[in-house]
Amino acid sequence: MTAATTVASAAQSPPTPRRRRPDDPSVVPLRLYGMRRGTVAVVTGLVVIFAVFTLLPIWWIFVNSTKTEPNLFATFGFWFARPFKLFSNMREIFANQSQGSLAQWFRNTVIYAFCGGAGATILSATAGYGFAKFRFRGNHALFMIVLSALLIPLTAVAIPLYILYSKVHMDSTMEGIILPFMVSPVGVYLMRVYISGSVPQELIDAARVDGAREASIFLRVAVPLMTPALITVFLLSVVASWNNYFLPFIVNNTTSLDPLPVGVYVWFQHSVSGGGYQDFYLYTICAGLLTIVPIIILFLALQRFWRGGLLLGSLTG
Amino acid sequence: MTDVVVRTNRAKAEKHSLLVMKGHGPERHRYLSRTERWGLVFILPFIIMFLFFLVIPIIYALYDSFFTTRLIGGTVFTGVSNYESVLTNGAFWRGMLRTFIYAAIQVPVLIVIATFFATMFDMGIAKWGAVFRTIFFIPFAVPTVVAGVMWSFLLEDPYGPLDRIIYDLGGGHYNFMGAGAPLLGSIIVIAIWEWAGYTMVILFTALRSVPRDVVESAVIDGARLGRVITRVKLPMIAPAITLVGILNIIGALQLFVEPEVLTVFTTNVSYNYTPTIYLYNQAYAAQEYNLAAAISFVLALIIIVISVSFVLLRRRKGAWI
Repeated sequence: MTAATTVASAAQSPPTPRRRRPDDPSVVPLRLYGMRRGTVAVVTGLVVIFAVFTLLPIWWIFVNSTKTEPNLFATFGFWFARPFKLFSNMREIFANQSQGSLAQWFRNTVIYAFCGGAGATILSATAGYGFAKFRFRGNHALFMIVLSALLIPLTAVAIPLYILYSKVHMDSTMEGIILPFMVSPVGVYLMRVYISGSVPQELIDAARVDGAREASIFLRVAVPLMTPALITVFLLSVVASWNNYFLPFIVNNTTSLDPLPVGVYVWFQHSVSGGGYQDFYLYTICAGLLTIVPIIILFLALQRFWRGGLLLGSLTG
Repeated sequence: MTDVVVRTNRAKAEKHSLLVMKGHGPERHRYLSRTERWGLVFILPFIIMFLFFLVIPIIYALYDSFFTTRLIGGTVFTGVSNYESVLTNGAFWRGMLRTFIYAAIQVPVLIVIATFFATMFDMGIAKWGAVFRTIFFIPFAVPTVVAGVMWSFLLEDPYGPLDRIIYDLGGGHYNFMGAGAPLLGSIIVIAIWEWAGYTMVILFTALRSVPRDVVESAVIDGARLGRVITRVKLPMIAPAITLVGILNIIGALQLFVEPEVLTVFTTNVSYNYTPTIYLYNQAYAAQEYNLAAAISFVLALIIIVISVSFVLLRRRKGAWI
């Protein structure tokens, strides 16, 4: 019985805000199904196994960032070994400049992720608003063309983009990496769906009658109502830019402009090519940890603000 | 207070539109064209970027794919000869076949795992759902390259911890990335690790939007747990399952980063392991941009045909998407 109530309250808590009244539990109590007692234990066991599977590599990368290079291979991978070198390892990866500068890669990634994310959010918000709230010739057709871009493999775009860049001398520039991140068909889709559902046409019409200009209607009436969607699209675009490897890898040839994922891979390849560079196994692992920690923290911190439900839009409605 | 304001404004708006409709010709025209114009203004920034960074590169690649660059004679128009050499190329099709096998295993397994956990969390059968959902979602924040690095080390032989555990249990050394090992299986495990949590969250959210009364009435009619899940809940989230299925097929057929990262520790990833690796090698190692462009179009076409037929198949069964 206590089990059932714990489960119900756990299921009620965020991350996904609900449209239901708080006193209306959204879960039908388990006992009504006539479920066998063991089921909860068995299923929870499976969940725990999958959680272990999920956390294992992350646990591994953390544990091994605290080791010395010899201990990396001499000791068991899933447990710590003395001496504890996490902090000196972190200092060392920033100090070592022989295969590109980690500080530079980190700075680049922050710039790319933030600018790409902000740009994608703004462009998706305006485009989503335009598609959702204005009738103009070709609205539907254009939207469908934007959506169909989801079917195109990134590889079909990245390589010709690189060739075009080299013709206009945009290869190996920051703009060349950031600007493509701003084009997010998924963002436009999510925004359109969200705006159609939660920005009432009456409010817009009323503001128009009052003589408000279209730009200020968008900023003062629509944007405040779009906050959850804005946060979701921003987070998804930041993660997409932060984690993107392929595009910068293709369109950029300058090591100092590489983002972290490309840098990590450069170090990884270098560690094997060997010959006195053995420390790069350890460096790769520490740089990997450094790459994932900020994003995981960002996600956990903003978890209750962003809407998983938006990932789906109104598809289920 | 605001409610009142809104209501009077709405009345005004209705009156306004009524006036507009009642044949004030020029005014009606001006109103509509204003909305038309502003609609275009709002979508314009995105559309310009969309053109420059997506449409134009694609058109350029299409154009390129009809030419051939020769050492002597420069770039000449060769029609569909690049496409002919792709379609008759064994290396391309071997990679394509491998990618089909990969997608045919990875996508269904991923969807089944994600649907199972989403259902268990939604019904409250698994305890501490909120905590576990957060844990499951974490790999979404891990870049594919870093995931590849972590798994390379985990699967490594003889230093990797998984090999060590097998060895300590008396199973000898096992090289997950060795000659006889199913490397594709390891890549499938990595991909499931990366995407199961994300897919689960999407499906979980879809399940939450199934109204409680539907489930309640099924329960009152005496439906047991399994029946409620398979007959009530899952059919209602079928569109969501189809959507994540299609998105995962598209992603799976573009397989690149995971095998590419594994090449650091294994020599068993060939230059044509997947079509994307093949086209990458054609473009960079072999400098065959025109051929690479043709490969990317053949691949895009295959992906489009598969996703569209998937949608049509579901639609013929009476579902909308």
